[in-house]
Amino acid sequence: MLFLPLVLLSACIKSYEPVIRPADKGKYVVSGDVTDAGGQQQVNVSVTSALDDPGFIPVSGCIVVISDDNGHEFLMADAGNGNYYCTIEPQYLKPGVSFKVSVHTPDGTDIVSDYDKMPACPPIDSVYYFREDVPTNNADIFEKGIQFFVNLNGADSDSRYYRWEAVETWEYHARYPIEWWYDGVIHHVYPPDSTRMVCWTTSLVKNIYTLSTKNLSHNSYKKFPLHFVDNKTTKLAYGYSLLVNQYAMSEQAYNYWEQLKANSIKLDNLYEKQPVSIRGNLHNITDPSLAVMGNFSAVAVKSRRFFIRKVANLELDFSDYCDPMRLERGLAELSPIDYPAYLMDAINGYSNVQLSPYCVDCLSLGGTNVKPDFWPN
Amino acid sequence: MFRRLIIIWLVVIPVTLFAQKEQQLIHVRFENLPATAVCDSLSRLSGIRVFCNPDWLGVRKVTIIADSISVADAFAKVIEDTGLTISNWQGNLVILPGVGLPAGLPKYTTKVPAADTSAPDNNAVTESEEKYLTGRRADVMQTLRIGKSGGSPTGRAKVQGRIFDEETGEPIPGATVFIAETKTGSVSDLNGFFAITLKPGNYNASFEYLGYAKKKYLLDVMSDGSFTVRLQKAVIQMKEVVVYGDRQVNLKTKDPGLDKIAMKAIKELPMMMGERDILKISGLMPGIVTAGEGSAGLNVRGGGSDQNAFYINKIPIYNTSHLFGFFPAFNSDIIRDFSIYKGYIPAQFGGRLSSVFNIVSRQGNRKRFMIHGGLSPVAGNLVIEGPLKKDTCSVLLSARSTYSDWILGRVKDPDIRNSSASFNDFSAAINYDLHKSQLSLFAYHSNDSFRFSELNEYKYSNNGMSLGFSHSYSNMLRGEFSLVASQYSFSTIDKQMASSAYSHAYDLGHYETRADFTHRLGEKHSIEYGAGFVLYQLARGTVSPYGEQSLRNIVELGNEQGSEASAYLSDSYELNTWLTITAGLRYAVYAPLGPQTVYTYFDNTPSDIRYIEDTLHFAKNKPVIWYHEPDIRAAVNLTTDANGSVKIAFNQMHQNLFMLSPTVTIAPNTQWKLADYHITPSRSNQVSVGVFRNLPVSGLEASAEIYYKNIQGFPEFRDGADFLNQPLVESSVLQGKQNSWGLEFFLKRSLHKLDGWISYTYSRSKVKVDGGEAWNRINNGEIYPANYDIPHVLNIVLNYHFTRRITFSSVVVYQSGKPVTYPVSVYYVNGLPVLDYSSRNAYRIPDYFRTDCSLTFEGNLKKKKLLHNSLVLSLYNAFGRDNAYSVYFTTENGKIKSYQYSVIGVPILTATWQFKLGNYASE
Repeated sequence: MLFLPLVLLSACIKSYEPVIRPADKGKYVVSGDVTDAGGQQQVNVSVTSALDDPGFIPVSGCIVVISDDNGHEFLMADAGNGNYYCTIEPQYLKPGVSFKVSVHTPDGTDIVSDYDKMPACPPIDSVYYFREDVPTNNADIFEKGIQFFVNLNGADSDSRYYRWEAVETWEYHARYPIEWWYDGVIHHVYPPDSTRMVCWTTSLVKNIYTLSTKNLSHNSYKKFPLHFVDNKTTKLAYGYSLLVNQYAMSEQAYNYWEQLKANSIKLDNLYEKQPVSIRGNLHNITDPSLAVMGNFSAVAVKSRRFFIRKVANLELDFSDYCDPMRLERGLAELSPIDYPAYLMDAINGYSNVQLSPYCVDCLSLGGTNVKPDFWPN
Repeated sequence: MFRRLIIIWLVVIPVTLFAQKEQQLIHVRFENLPATAVCDSLSRLSGIRVFCNPDWLGVRKVTIIADSISVADAFAKVIEDTGLTISNWQGNLVILPGVGLPAGLPKYTTKVPAADTSAPDNNAVTESEEKYLTGRRADVMQTLRIGKSGGSPTGRAKVQGRIFDEETGEPIPGATVFIAETKTGSVSDLNGFFAITLKPGNYNASFEYLGYAKKKYLLDVMSDGSFTVRLQKAVIQMKEVVVYGDRQVNLKTKDPGLDKIAMKAIKELPMMMGERDILKISGLMPGIVTAGEGSAGLNVRGGGSDQNAFYINKIPIYNTSHLFGFFPAFNSDIIRDFSIYKGYIPAQFGGRLSSVFNIVSRQGNRKRFMIHGGLSPVAGNLVIEGPLKKDTCSVLLSARSTYSDWILGRVKDPDIRNSSASFNDFSAAINYDLHKSQLSLFAYHSNDSFRFSELNEYKYSNNGMSLGFSHSYSNMLRGEFSLVASQYSFSTIDKQMASSAYSHAYDLGHYETRADFTHRLGEKHSIEYGAGFVLYQLARGTVSPYGEQSLRNIVELGNEQGSEASAYLSDSYELNTWLTITAGLRYAVYAPLGPQTVYTYFDNTPSDIRYIEDTLHFAKNKPVIWYHEPDIRAAVNLTTDANGSVKIAFNQMHQNLFMLSPTVTIAPNTQWKLADYHITPSRSNQVSVGVFRNLPVSGLEASAEIYYKNIQGFPEFRDGADFLNQPLVESSVLQGKQNSWGLEFFLKRSLHKLDGWISYTYSRSKVKVDGGEAWNRINNGEIYPANYDIPHVLNIVLNYHFTRRITFSSVVVYQSGKPVTYPVSVYYVNGLPVLDYSSRNAYRIPDYFRTDCSLTFEGNLKKKKLLHNSLVLSLYNAFGRDNAYSVYFTTENGKIKSYQYSVIGVPILTATWQFKLGNYASE
């Protein structure tokens, strides 16, 4: 990118402040949806931030109302930080009912979304995986792991636009229980504390999986690829649970997700993609010339959980980050910044081997040591 | 015996004296003075007595400004276009209406049996003798007799002529022939041939070409025959004629939207770091915009830079510049003729939507060996030419190379000090002239290598060769057969980010064979026809990770092949003296060829891997799909009066090869891509109307042109397209419509101490991509400005000739800023940042404004000398304005910073020394 100009004169690049039109600054952002799962609905209201000072700028004190096309209104409560919540009873969340949101901001601006019709979501047909070796840059080396797929069967549904979300949960272990530790004095825990040896982490796969069957002959799809899990982490070592959420939505909401997908920022290189200006279904009715970012949609969701205890034919090759370190000069090597310093158990007392927190405390890698209720025994 | 001698002495001496007087050079400055007064003044200056009835001159006003002009030329200007002629009578001048006094006894050449030997035999008469015999007397024209008496039973004589450079013996392409009586004309082809059909009789014919002295002959046409004309380079005192030549081109034969640029004009303009750039100069013409410093592209009439075809001796050049556009990829010293077609494009050309830049190199001096060259701070060039066999076979070799690294090494910034940049180019031409047949071989190579510290490496090269054979089957029919091969390749390594470093190499091959015929069917009727075949071979290469740390995936972009067969027929008919109609049809059949694997997608779904329906495999050389492409071309030329014309053209073009270049990057590795199973060829229709007018007294030449062009199947990157990681081009590209229209004004002043031109263009170029669904729309289906929508362009070129040897030139360039898509803000959805971009191309980078000047010192103007040299001092960007080439954004510590990127932000002063063997005018 910075070719010859730099060669000719290094001073050719200088900071430049483009004059951004007022209409492109401080736009309102309203995002949220009505889902048929559970009762609680959430809407966020914020304004866009400047490029050189990015941040979430919440707008509190708005009057936010979700209404349906049967004349029902649901006033949302301001929970602060731009979040607004309300509960809609299941009897109102029927397929075919349309919802919209209206926002009245403290500065008197009225924002309204288009009506979005709640679709029906067919159940998830199946979630499965295949053992795959993915070629890498080195022709001799393959990335080993499993590729997840989802099958769609919407034969009984008129929904044509889908999105999947993959939420993965896995178990991982610390190698040792806590028995000896030092913070200036030696502590001995007996019996050794093994409550921090088994943990679980849950994380959303940050990919946007969308599909439209509008122009396919059948409202079904086989082998839609989700994510790939390789053998370099503990994910597949002690159990892996995948929750797949299948969302059905309107064409408009689908297009919004398609744009979001295209826009997804690659932070290291803004110049490998053609930029997308994303437009949702919200309108500023006080000043129609001002665009409103975000989108409001009514979505139906079905979920399915999939559990893997062990993957056949896959050798794991991962690190638990535990690397015991011999203290050559004994405890004198430890200083207050190391506290609490965990020590390895010897037959009659501690040994001069320090254990990193990762060796004894799985919470130090995030996650929780409370077994999720969906976790099989 | 003694008496006879005396008589001869008596006759000869006064005439010699007179001839000397008439040829003496004088300095004159007449501005808008009555012709009679000018005659008086010239008479006093020269000592020649002038007889004239003042009524014949009437109220005519004359302007002659010249530092040195011969008396004869000055008188010729006084009576120019008045119908008067000057005759010599006993050492005095007599101005009379009509044909003038007979110069003496008619010159009878003994009956010439063969058809073509009426040209003066160079060996028999020396230059000075010839001058003495024919003189510069306007009334005494040499007569060229063509054919045998009583030899034309049909009442029509087919005449073939050929125009040569007197000095070098090279044929002159593009020279114009004009028959005053019939008001018809012709233009010489690549080998200097032209054909006209005339009734037997006497005609006043004039022959001219830019930079050459106009020559007039009396043609005595008796039957079919041929003749040759030798034009002399305009030596300095005749410079005005150059302008007249240009004017004639403009008025009589100029196609709508055809620009010709005289090499002489180029020599005087300011140069960037001492390198003449013919392409940058074409960017000073109306309707043509240089894409910017550091960029090779030209945008012609609102078209993309890939919509222009560049040919040098029929070799297509896919990258026309060195160092990303700073220097042209060919040595300007070898260029003979440079034509730009942007309105009516002759049917022999096809394949690009907007324009054709046709460059014809010189063939080399056929008389003697010549060396010329130049030295500038960054590059040196050398041209050697000469006869291998006198008057028959000539050779021309040129070489150019940089030595710019020493400049880089002196820069303090280590990144720059550790960089290197180099380029070179070579060309060789051999021409063999067998009178009826000509054989030519031209080879070309250019190479660029660039490394920016440890961040980027970039190399590219062009190679080409053309072999041509042309033959005159008869006076009326000429054929030309060519074999052409051209190759463009680049390789790039990007190491800016270790985690995304990559390397990529790309190669394009173009192999072509063609036959072209020009056929004169009658006095006012001529046709051109031909056929050609092109094979394209693209190896689009592999984007591979570079270095151990790169996490990039391997992306194989694959290979492509395509073939194009075309045939054309073009018919030009002069309905009457003021109306000429040219109509042409070009028909091309294009097919991408296997081996190829093509995915098909479900109907009405995006071309995306999610929606693949089937996979088609095509074997080697099997056509994947056929495209048929008829192009209709038509031009109407209306001569409104002696000084004006109106030209109307309709032009249809097709394009099968696109350049994939994203809007936001400045990356040089933009690739050419063939139309394929999914991406159809694009098609353009253009209508243009031009009004051309000369104002002879003021020396002004003015034109106004208006055009409207629409393009269908215009390929654009869709929103969110990934430029490097997507091998399936159809997934990233959508095709839509591009509309452009514009108004071009051009005003040129010649003939004066202060001359130059002003061109102003107002043009718009808009794109609409709306397939009806969200996924096949760009910018939500709304119209947006094309990446090169530049409404206002103003170029001013001024030259001030202090003396014949010192010229000051300046160039002023103003352009509206290019459209750009800005990120305007950041917002968060579910805690994830989303970059909010403006609608496509909704913003513009700052306007571009630049002033350059130069001072040229020519060496002495003696006609006979060994070495001519000149020194050019040029100041580029005199006011040091920081013109933005682009505005770009980067992420730094989670914040997005914007920067303006200017290529040359300071004035750059360079001195260039040029030399050549021979005098000022020799090439």
